[in-house]
Amino acid sequence: MNLFLLYALLLKATLTSFSGLASLPMVRNDLVVERKVLTDRELNTAVVAGRTGPGPNGLYLVSVGYYAAGYAGATVGLLALMTPAFLILPMMRWMGRRAESPRVKSAIRAVVLASAGLLLSASVPLARDAITGWLTLGIVMASFAVLTLTKLDTVWVVLGGAVVGLIAKVAP
Amino acid sequence: MTKPSLASLTNLYLKIGNTTFGGGNPTMALLQRELTRRGWITREDFALAYALARVTPGTNILAFCAATGERVLGLGGAFAAVLAVSLPSAILAVLLTRGFETWRSHPLAMAAIGGTVAAVAGMMWASVWLLVRPYIGWRALLFTGGAFLAAWKFDVTPVPVILAAALAGYVWADRK
Repeated sequence: MNLFLLYALLLKATLTSFSGLASLPMVRNDLVVERKVLTDRELNTAVVAGRTGPGPNGLYLVSVGYYAAGYAGATVGLLALMTPAFLILPMMRWMGRRAESPRVKSAIRAVVLASAGLLLSASVPLARDAITGWLTLGIVMASFAVLTLTKLDTVWVVLGGAVVGLIAKVAP
Repeated sequence: MTKPSLASLTNLYLKIGNTTFGGGNPTMALLQRELTRRGWITREDFALAYALARVTPGTNILAFCAATGERVLGLGGAFAAVLAVSLPSAILAVLLTRGFETWRSHPLAMAAIGGTVAAVAGMMWASVWLLVRPYIGWRALLFTGGAFLAAWKFDVTPVPVILAAALAGYVWADRK
């Protein structure tokens, strides 16, 4: 895949999202649905790879880039992830006050809520791919419960899922 | 305020950014402690960077690192901080992706990966809940439900949904 196009598509996703996995719906729409350079399963694996290690949320874009165009794609993914961060520099200088405006705050809240709805919509095909039976359904529910009810780190939940999957396979 | 060398600034962001699991907030909390303890930035600069990082598009923690790095050592500090926090983790993410692809042919590894994929599906629903929870109410139902329906039922692409939400939120300001 053309690297400039990949950068433009991933940048579009990071520029229009404000947190964590909020960029996922757009990435899925552009790369899985429209251009078919990734499968849902690969996107899912990218999210796992991004979350298994330490570092900022959104690192899954590096894996997405890797799937789309190898190491060059991964570099492009990292660049697209890093680019919007520098927008804060002019904001620190000139927009420090305006962010306090109630209308701007309200618009940002509306975007956060809408991105939750988009994320929910994007999670449906991924969940369909992940839930293959009662065991995986149980892991999905347990993961949701643990992450909403406790402060346990995500990495332990992901590792826990791996261990449960492994035990279920080995045990008769 | 004291000015560290670029190497010691990079070292701090390397250490904290790549050993802290769990995303933005724990990392920012640790950096706040270390940056103010060393006298590299003021509390006021930290607060401004923290608030603006939330309204900067993209990954909050990277914007936060750009802002604080810039306050300490200018533009070079900003680049060093962002690279230090993201590059090692990015390399690890690619290695993990390759690993998952290689292990895919192994039935035991498949079982483990199936478990992690299920855990991630639950994690996405948890993210949805954590995004909505602070704003539970009619607005949340309207914006989140509306965006979900637009995307799921009517195949609207994300950019128009986000722009429509921003516009509606701006015009119809809530009084929080």
